Amino acid sequence: MTAIMSLKDISKIYKTGDEDTYALNKVSLDINKGEFVAIMGPSGSGKSSLMHIIGLLDTASSGSYCLNEEDVSKLSRKTQAIIRNQEIGFVFQQFNLLPRTSVTDNVLLPTIYGKVKNPEAKAKKLIMEVGLEKRANNKSNQLSGGQVQRVAIARALVMEPSIILADEPTGNLDTKTSIEIMTLLKDINKKGATIVLITHEPDIAKFASRIIHLRDGRVVSGKDK
Amino acid sequence: MKYWMILKQSLKAIFANKGRSFLTVLGIIIGIGSVIALISLGNGVQSSIDSQISKLGATSLTIMPGASNFGPSSSGSTSQTSAPKGPASAGGGFGSASTLSPADLTSLSDKTKNPKVKAATGAVNGTAIFTVKGVEQRNTIIGTNVDYFNIHNLPIKSGHSISNADLDNKAKVLVLGSTLAAEVFPDINPLDQSVTIGTDTYTVVGVLKKATESSFLNPNLNGYVPYTSAMTTFGTSAFNTMLAQAIDENSVDKAKADTEAILLKNHGITDKKLADFSIMSSKDLLTTISSITGIITSLLAGIAAISLVVGGIGIMNIMLVSVTERTREIGLRKAVGAKTSDILLQFIVEAVVLTLAGGILGIGLGYLIGLVAARFMDFTPIVTLEAIFLAVGVSSAVGLVFGIYPAAKAALLNPIDALRYE
Repeated sequence: MTAIMSLKDISKIYKTGDEDTYALNKVSLDINKGEFVAIMGPSGSGKSSLMHIIGLLDTASSGSYCLNEEDVSKLSRKTQAIIRNQEIGFVFQQFNLLPRTSVTDNVLLPTIYGKVKNPEAKAKKLIMEVGLEKRANNKSNQLSGGQVQRVAIARALVMEPSIILADEPTGNLDTKTSIEIMTLLKDINKKGATIVLITHEPDIAKFASRIIHLRDGRVVSGKDK
Repeated sequence: MKYWMILKQSLKAIFANKGRSFLTVLGIIIGIGSVIALISLGNGVQSSIDSQISKLGATSLTIMPGASNFGPSSSGSTSQTSAPKGPASAGGGFGSASTLSPADLTSLSDKTKNPKVKAATGAVNGTAIFTVKGVEQRNTIIGTNVDYFNIHNLPIKSGHSISNADLDNKAKVLVLGSTLAAEVFPDINPLDQSVTIGTDTYTVVGVLKKATESSFLNPNLNGYVPYTSAMTTFGTSAFNTMLAQAIDENSVDKAKADTEAILLKNHGITDKKLADFSIMSSKDLLTTISSITGIITSLLAGIAAISLVVGGIGIMNIMLVSVTERTREIGLRKAVGAKTSDILLQFIVEAVVLTLAGGILGIGLGYLIGLVAARFMDFTPIVTLEAIFLAVGVSSAVGLVFGIYPAAKAALLNPIDALRYE
């Protein structure tokens, strides 16, 4: 099976004063098409840094990363922006939505920056699928935490990406809502999307087909399937 | 489609912060407003002056005593020390003793010597005290001949005008302007009444019809006497000004040249530059005054333009605050695929839309200020299309220039740095 994402010796170094801090230390791992991977680890283990590099939001200090068999370090900022738009859908833990903006407009946000057929119809369908059709015209600040994450998931899906990256999507939610959100992600995975999920809750990680543990910037377990 | 969407995003951001957006553009509104107000008032003054000068008649030539360094007629001067054209030299001739004599008037009126001049006249200016409702007031007395009434189009209503016999006899006769006559003799027929001018007693022989007034001339308030009598009464032998009228508009330049030649010959002057008089046509006067009002208008508009720059800095300031405030929004947009150019465009569009709106509101405000100011003065403000284009152009340029720095700052942010910003 071909790896959709292939990381080799990826390091991320932050300079704090004279000392170098390794957020990621020579991480190598492959994620295959259609997998549902959970990345776990205590805070400071490098989970978020890993996801930002995978999602082309940040660049690695060293090592190589191939996305769809293409070395991303050779891509221009513009091409990276296009890949983020077309190939990747993000769900963040916080600040997921534009403030004072309606649910529909938030879901439509990625369609401003890239081409997709019938964006309005697609957004309407996705909002229905995440169960927010009655709130389509509500402003983002009138939503509950679970509703915000549903909108974020709908937005992540509107460009029909092959990869969904979710950074602690259930971090601020109660158990019942968390399970609803995870069920939603599981369904998306079943339809073919590759999902990489970051979490520190074992209950949430159980939804994934593979769990990768990180500690101090290194992969501890789950490197290979 | 994409650009329309980005414009929509910008508009949404502006309307999401209505209060702040308004305060931001206030600087631009005031800047453009004051520029428009000053330009429209300047144009209004200009056109009001134009119309008043054209009332003087396009064919008239004014001859004034003193060195000829007034206005365009001095353009041939090569002297290093000669005063520059314009307002500084305008007073050059006025204080000089006049050398314009009745003999000059006779030469100028001579059709064989001066064929392009239809009529010529001179004016000796003095004043007299009149009593109106028990209160004394001073009015202008002009010593002249009958051609003065012809050139200025001042017909007689009752009695008769100043005759050549009156001139020859130095007759103490007086023609009153309509308003003056009505004020001084409200209840009785002014004809044959006596008026004291200086130490002489004059008899009213005629009253003029009511004439149109202008800032330069109010013939209704003046009294007119034969210039020979005026010279005796006021103790002078020269005219304060002379006036000649060309036969038509095409002959003005020729008439001016002939008049100049005759006067130079009469005064025994060979070098034009040493002339002890100056001749101005209405056109010359218009050019001179236009250049003065033009300078003042652009000076004031220039000062007002400074407030535009200040307004622009205000825009930049608020845009910078807005970029900082919306850093995470920028990060989110980048995460979902916004390119650097998309973010740059969004913020520039925001700045330009703000300033453009400010510019349009400013045009309205400026026109209102012009209207209000004009109510207290005697003219209508004129907002020209050029002024509007200038204002809109300047305001959008201000938005572009002062919007680029904050926009670039926003656009060049790393997506993750922007998302992590606290």
